[in-house]
Amino acid sequence: MTTRVHIGLPVPPRNHPALLRGRGRFVDDLPFPGARHVAVLRSPVAHGRVTAFDATAARADPRCLLVLGPADVAELTDPIPLAWLLPDQRLDHVELAVDVVRYAGQPIGLVVATDRAAAEDVAELVDVRVEPLPAVASTAAALAPGAPRLHAEAEGNVVGRTHFGTPRDRLDEAFAEAHLVVEREFGIQRVSHSPLEPRGLVAEWEPGPGLLTVHASTQSPHAVRQELAAVLRLRADRVRVVARDVGGSFGGKVALHADEALVCLAAVVLGGQVKWVEDRVENLTAAYQGRGQRTRARLAVAADGRFLALHADVVGDLGAFAVQAGSGPLQVTALTIEGPYRFPAAGGTVTAVCTNLVPVGAYRGYGMQESTFIRERLVDEAARELGVDPVALRLRNMVEPGDMPYTTCTGLVYDSGDYSAALRSAARRVAPPSSAGPVRRGSAVTATVEMSGFAPSALIRQFDIAWAGWEGVRLVVNHDGTVTVHAGVTAVGQGIETSLAQIAADGLGVPLRWVDVRLGDTATAPHSDLASQASRALVLAGGALLRAAARLRARVLGLAARALDVPEADVVLDVPADVEPGSPEAVFRGASGVISWRELAHRAWRGWHRPEGVERIRLEENVDFDPPAITFAHGAHGAAVAVDVDTGVVTVEDYWTVHDNGVLVNPLVAEGQVVGGVAQGIGLALFEEVRHDPDTAEPLSTTFREYPLPAARDVPRVDVRHLCTPSPANPGGFKGLGEGGAIPPAATIACAVAAAVPEIAEVLTATPMTPERVWAALREAGIEGSPQWTER
Amino acid sequence: MNGTARTARAEPRTSLGEHLRTALGLTGTHLGCEQGDCGACAVLLDGEPVCSCLVLAVQADGCRVETVESLARGDDLGPAQRALLEEHGLQCGFCTPGLLMRMTHARRTGAPASDVLGGHLCRCTGYGGLRAAVERHCAVEARKEDQP
Amino acid sequence: MKPVAFDHVAPVDLAAALDLLAERGTRAAPLAGGQSLVPLLNLRRVRPDVVVDLNHVVGLAGVRVTAGEVRIGAMTRLRVLESHPDVVAALPVLATAASAVAHPHVRTRATLGGSLCHANPAAELPAAAVALDARLVLRHRGGARVVPAAEFFTGPHTTVLAPGELLTEVVVPRVPELRFGFAELARPGGSGYPLVVALLGVAVEGGVVVAARAAAGGVAPTPVRLPGVEAALPGRRCTADDLSAGLATAPVDHAAGHRDAVLRSLLRRITAGLE
Repeated sequence: MTTRVHIGLPVPPRNHPALLRGRGRFVDDLPFPGARHVAVLRSPVAHGRVTAFDATAARADPRCLLVLGPADVAELTDPIPLAWLLPDQRLDHVELAVDVVRYAGQPIGLVVATDRAAAEDVAELVDVRVEPLPAVASTAAALAPGAPRLHAEAEGNVVGRTHFGTPRDRLDEAFAEAHLVVEREFGIQRVSHSPLEPRGLVAEWEPGPGLLTVHASTQSPHAVRQELAAVLRLRADRVRVVARDVGGSFGGKVALHADEALVCLAAVVLGGQVKWVEDRVENLTAAYQGRGQRTRARLAVAADGRFLALHADVVGDLGAFAVQAGSGPLQVTALTIEGPYRFPAAGGTVTAVCTNLVPVGAYRGYGMQESTFIRERLVDEAARELGVDPVALRLRNMVEPGDMPYTTCTGLVYDSGDYSAALRSAARRVAPPSSAGPVRRGSAVTATVEMSGFAPSALIRQFDIAWAGWEGVRLVVNHDGTVTVHAGVTAVGQGIETSLAQIAADGLGVPLRWVDVRLGDTATAPHSDLASQASRALVLAGGALLRAAARLRARVLGLAARALDVPEADVVLDVPADVEPGSPEAVFRGASGVISWRELAHRAWRGWHRPEGVERIRLEENVDFDPPAITFAHGAHGAAVAVDVDTGVVTVEDYWTVHDNGVLVNPLVAEGQVVGGVAQGIGLALFEEVRHDPDTAEPLSTTFREYPLPAARDVPRVDVRHLCTPSPANPGGFKGLGEGGAIPPAATIACAVAAAVPEIAEVLTATPMTPERVWAALREAGIEGSPQWTER
Repeated sequence: MNGTARTARAEPRTSLGEHLRTALGLTGTHLGCEQGDCGACAVLLDGEPVCSCLVLAVQADGCRVETVESLARGDDLGPAQRALLEEHGLQCGFCTPGLLMRMTHARRTGAPASDVLGGHLCRCTGYGGLRAAVERHCAVEARKEDQP
Repeated sequence: MKPVAFDHVAPVDLAAALDLLAERGTRAAPLAGGQSLVPLLNLRRVRPDVVVDLNHVVGLAGVRVTAGEVRIGAMTRLRVLESHPDVVAALPVLATAASAVAHPHVRTRATLGGSLCHANPAAELPAAAVALDARLVLRHRGGARVVPAAEFFTGPHTTVLAPGELLTEVVVPRVPELRFGFAELARPGGSGYPLVVALLGVAVEGGVVVAARAAAGGVAPTPVRLPGVEAALPGRRCTADDLSAGLATAPVDHAAGHRDAVLRSLLRRITAGLE
């Protein structure tokens, strides 16, 4: 049993002092003075055929070191294989060698030159001709009769379909009998992850041993390594990927992108170091994006307020092609549509559509933001139409602790939690606001369930996903007594390195600063495909680490007992809180005397004191943790908003959160994750939107001027509370919390706007709720703004 | 340059921020957008905060430039750094150097906390700890620590 | 992205700068504070052969107040403009408008002339120049002309400036009888760029408005005066209610729609402060 000393303490992240000194090691900060620089050649149009690629003039520039075009790429690479397909999906790879471009910004080739500015100069000399084809700028356009067909493998531009939960005919029956059916069409826009550090990598090829080392800003170095090996036709053991400091990711850095593979190809062709750091325009126009769906959904309610059925018909925009987990977020929207409520019948239907827009990948919340928005808006609308309190309606239908484990219609098994308690807690704190003048105020609370700790190998196999779901750690007590944690999960600013150190320290019973945590280097990190995504790093690596620490602690105590020649039960580890690992005060005590921690560690590495017949010497433990089940976090959010009916401006004035993330390892990190997630949710709710020209499908959001991120003035103080129902699905009782903050804000804010201005509640079904759109809805509803002012 | 005379050549088109990072090897200053929108690259030029992505390196010839690397004294973090550390005012830390320079300038000049956060984008924190750190750093009481 | 390669020339006297601009014509880009030009350079949307850096030209910055007008050098930084005691005293609304531009670390460098020449139709200072009937002094090698602000702007990001011509000074008549207010609605999110800006000034005698001046940015391709508003207010009592009622009768001088609604909201907000 682990004694909690550091677990639960608000320990400041251990890498922060270095970051605050300007000593971060982001990709572009790494000292590679000899690196050559890449400019990526990108398609200027959203759909077209590459008819010519002439680099003669470019190659004549003395600063030009290499030009790669489609023919070179075709000769030297294989496509990137996909990992998660829909049952009938025939598009199963990402093309690197492009003869037909399918989005503006798609990489066609690259130029390597002496520095970045020179590379951009030389890139302008490459004569790339693209013969434009008609472009498709939305799923509606893609599905329209006679729409241009993007892929031979996607008839009607449908990449694949699936359905989860109650069969459709039974759903239709349930709706037919209902007292009330609320049906709406929901729109969730495309968003950009926009980490402050864009993507980037330095690839180094050593031709002698044939080794490729890639320093990358990535969440998933092992996955990138495997994909690179496949693409570049290299042995897996000849590729090493290293992620140092990562300046935010949010799902945008989980998958190898085609341009990143081309940069590594350039290194292999040239030898030595080649560097590419994405600029902001590229990040906004070429890096994979998030969300993007139109969903028709309906909720059936009995006269007494019982929920009878829920169905979401999700039409998702994959963009130009399916990426590695292409339809994953859409499938998760369907799977999680029920949320915290009981439904006799519920299901989700998914249609994945390709368009001539930037491909869509993972984004924080991964389909659950979408399902929460759809469901919570429907529930609020049902309450409005029934004339009942929306909180009461929610409580009436909630899955209760006594129902656990609870299996949803779509087959998810909720493990634990008190959903009603979270909702009540949030509802108690949300004060009913008052309206004044042209400003109307309203508040609302919503509830959600968050899938975390993805995923058991058996479940991964059931979905035929080509990734490992388990997570491994290696915990080492070094010969000098210091402790090192190696894990496959990665630090991307979320603080996992600190949480793991806290767990290791408590698991071994040693001071926190004895522990160092090494992440992100495939040469030393245990295998991990999913690494830090899907709110799983702490749940799975933390679970593995607790087990590793318990085993290593038992071994160390056994060694100490033999060194001291006393029974194991009589050995006590006595470490004052503030001593170093080499201190003579850090000792094992037995009746016969003491031996210092450091001395014991040193002897252990010499092979001394081990029991008869035991071969194992290294003072380290490797543990792989394959969780028995997904664990579900949950929460409730409350928002108070002001709506200026003259201008349509929505201001979030107060925000409250209640989350149950099981056992919290570091409350500081937990609060930071929640508040940061809420800010992203506010951006999505009110103004973030990747826009494209509706005819040409060319990007209109190319800088932060057209894609504004939330600033301090947009985010109120967020009140953060936590409940704690330990998860039964892992040794630490942990539940994930990386995404929970980002999931409910759009739903909560939309419901609060609906409360402020019920006249437009029915049409609050799409985000972002920009001033112009809210104003248009207000005028449409006949709300004319300030009475002193008359229309012309 | 952070109190020391430094000489390095720059192409006219090279921004001050890029010049600091490459020719002078001071990679603490980060370029987040190169459009003046994010504030990550803020440095002090002759004591005033500027976006180092929007000043040409050649324009800083003969000027005093201060960057994040100047804020700690040996092992001791400076007051702005301490405030952010203790209030959990950063997560990934990429945007932090520019904000630190704005905080430093605000405390020197008596500018209010509300002046500091505008123009700085942070994608991680949601501004919770960050706002607390800036308010604490710019409080009148805190400024008294700076008096010799 | 990095800019195209260019030469950098930093003349110290105006004649030399004008010579350079005359000789290089459209191939030269005058660099003031750089807060609008350098973003465009960084996107390669502006591709000059030479950047003529005006930051060392003597005599282009500073504020001079005479009995009838305030003369402001085009290279005057917004940081100076917003807090300059003479500007605050003589043209407080100009100081307010300057302080609303972007963020402090942008205003450190940004200049009045640069902001006017960038001619963002929604920006604060172009609208202020129009509202205040500013006159813009445009110099070229061997000559100069003076253009009223209302005629300077020709469309989004376009002006009457000819190649080789430089805005050197902004002359703002003093109108002590007019009391102005300023309001803006920024676009949502962190960019902070204005969506609509509004300025409204009234001259009041015996509690009754005798003259009004109004201008807006963001509602048309250039900043515009609002003659309908200016005609509707005289005769009204200077109370928020009566001014609002006056505004309500004013014909709208541009396309209706969301931005117009925002503009009217901003004007109402200003009238509350003029009471």
